[in-house]
Amino acid sequence: MSFRKILIANRGEIAVRVNRAAHELGIETVAIFSEVDRGSLHVRYADEAYCVGPGPAARSYLNIPNIISAGLISHADAIHPGYGFLAENARFAEICADHGIAFIGPTPKVIQQMGDKAAAKAIMSAARVPTIPGTDILDSAADAMRAANQLGYPVMLKAAAGGGGKGMREVRGPEDLAHAFATAQSEAEVNFKDGRLYMEKLVARPRHVEVQVLGDRFGDVVHVGERDCSVQKPSHQKLIEEAPAPALSERIRARLHKVAVSAARAVAYTSAGTLEFLVSGDDVYFMEMNTRIQVEHPISEAVYGVDLVKAQIRIAAGERLGFNQSQLHAHGHAIECRINAEEPGAGFVPAAGTLTDVAFPGGLGVRVDSHVYAGLAIPPYYDSLLAKLVVTGSSRNEAIDRMANALRETRVSGVHTTLDLCRAIMNDEAFRAGGVSVEYLPSFAATTAAAT
Amino acid sequence: MDWDKALARAREVAEFCAEAGLERYRVSQEDLEIEVRRSSRRVADDAAAPAAARPASGSGLATSNGSVTHEGPAETLLKAEFVGIVRFTHPVVVEGVHLPEGRELAYVESLGIRNPIRVVAPSRVTAVLVSDGQPVEYAQPLFAVEPTT
Repeated sequence: MSFRKILIANRGEIAVRVNRAAHELGIETVAIFSEVDRGSLHVRYADEAYCVGPGPAARSYLNIPNIISAGLISHADAIHPGYGFLAENARFAEICADHGIAFIGPTPKVIQQMGDKAAAKAIMSAARVPTIPGTDILDSAADAMRAANQLGYPVMLKAAAGGGGKGMREVRGPEDLAHAFATAQSEAEVNFKDGRLYMEKLVARPRHVEVQVLGDRFGDVVHVGERDCSVQKPSHQKLIEEAPAPALSERIRARLHKVAVSAARAVAYTSAGTLEFLVSGDDVYFMEMNTRIQVEHPISEAVYGVDLVKAQIRIAAGERLGFNQSQLHAHGHAIECRINAEEPGAGFVPAAGTLTDVAFPGGLGVRVDSHVYAGLAIPPYYDSLLAKLVVTGSSRNEAIDRMANALRETRVSGVHTTLDLCRAIMNDEAFRAGGVSVEYLPSFAATTAAAT
Repeated sequence: MDWDKALARAREVAEFCAEAGLERYRVSQEDLEIEVRRSSRRVADDAAAPAAARPASGSGLATSNGSVTHEGPAETLLKAEFVGIVRFTHPVVVEGVHLPEGRELAYVESLGIRNPIRVVAPSRVTAVLVSDGQPVEYAQPLFAVEPTT
């Protein structure tokens, strides 16, 4: 069985990306959009498009009745949720099934299990996946205080329903705990309608390394290598990612791959997914599993030559993966830079406005995933991602030089962007040496901002 | 007046209407009456439409003394709040009919739920912008009406 028509329940670059995969598979597409997104390329490229609500996401891209109704009136037989919005909403996946529409992703049960970060950790511990020492759900700030004393500072507060760095607070000492607890709780409340928090011991100078997995309904599970996403903003949102992870011993790399595959098997995973790990020295800790396609998936596609979105669609249609681990090999090195509409010099505050000039780079090994063009108004309601620049080189050095040049060719004006910051990082000694930790960007951005 | 002349005249009126930034304009001459109305339904093409086709701010609709002569100032568009299929309520309304307060013109069927489209005051239907059984999106104008008090 193959799908005939897919509704893409997302916006921006990822909707464009999914649209491409569907069209290449000969599948028709239906876009949805909010009133302020009518001009986005994701609307233009789709075969059909329906406005589902006004600008604020809660009334458009999260408007389940209107999205399902758009699927029904357009006779879509599947929905691809992209990332963010409804991508990891188990209830949405169930509602799709209730209306006879296939949800392109894992089962609602797995989404629900992995979405509850504390539950996910318990499942992974049981599957002998190493996890960071931590607590169950904390009932109060006082409870948190006791737990922190037991674990030893510094500690990290995390939202049970969290993701994308929201509802997360680093706590260096007891004097900061009460305030951090209150702010993380309200942030979790606002973003996930779930204020439950748990605590983990803070791992010293960790690197963020994640492993891409694919599983089908026949029990086949493979990994598609790892990605190093250590270049993160102070909010823990990723800015630059690369594959393979540089300066990582083959022993640790192999261990990450093995652990990821056994974790995916433990939950009978049936889509594209990512296991995020913290790597500190020789220690490897499972952080969370993302049951969606991720922003940075193109770098894995680049080095492994696998189209992950097509694989997701085929798996959801009941097809076999069609390849095994021994057929997957990494070739060369890939880097992604996220061009966001935000001001790095002002704490990465999102910038809205109209793009006056847009020029993207090209050439061998250069890929641009984007939904924008000159004249497009960037609304204030959504994620600030404008474009992803992805380059592939035969070596890490070649990839960095290629990215540096691609960034030189890129022009995005009319709003503040992360372009200059990415350019500076490509020329930075520490980044070029490889293996920076998650502490790298916050201090680099602060130094760069101070220097200008 | 022959057909070609009438069409040419209608085109002139339409151009005047666009230039002045008017939504609607009616002119009568001898045995001919021309009413030009800019369709706000063509929302899908709006983004690509040349800027000249839209009222510039400060012209026509927003005259400083507030008297807008040629525009039906009280005309309102009844829009879909839900994505679904529009179903006309019987007796089916047509352009020009008068409706009592609260009269349902149609409903939007969305996930099996009837979402009625009603007039809140006695009104006259000035335009029917969709056809029965048509899929509609959020905020799509379905009918134009003006109060008849």
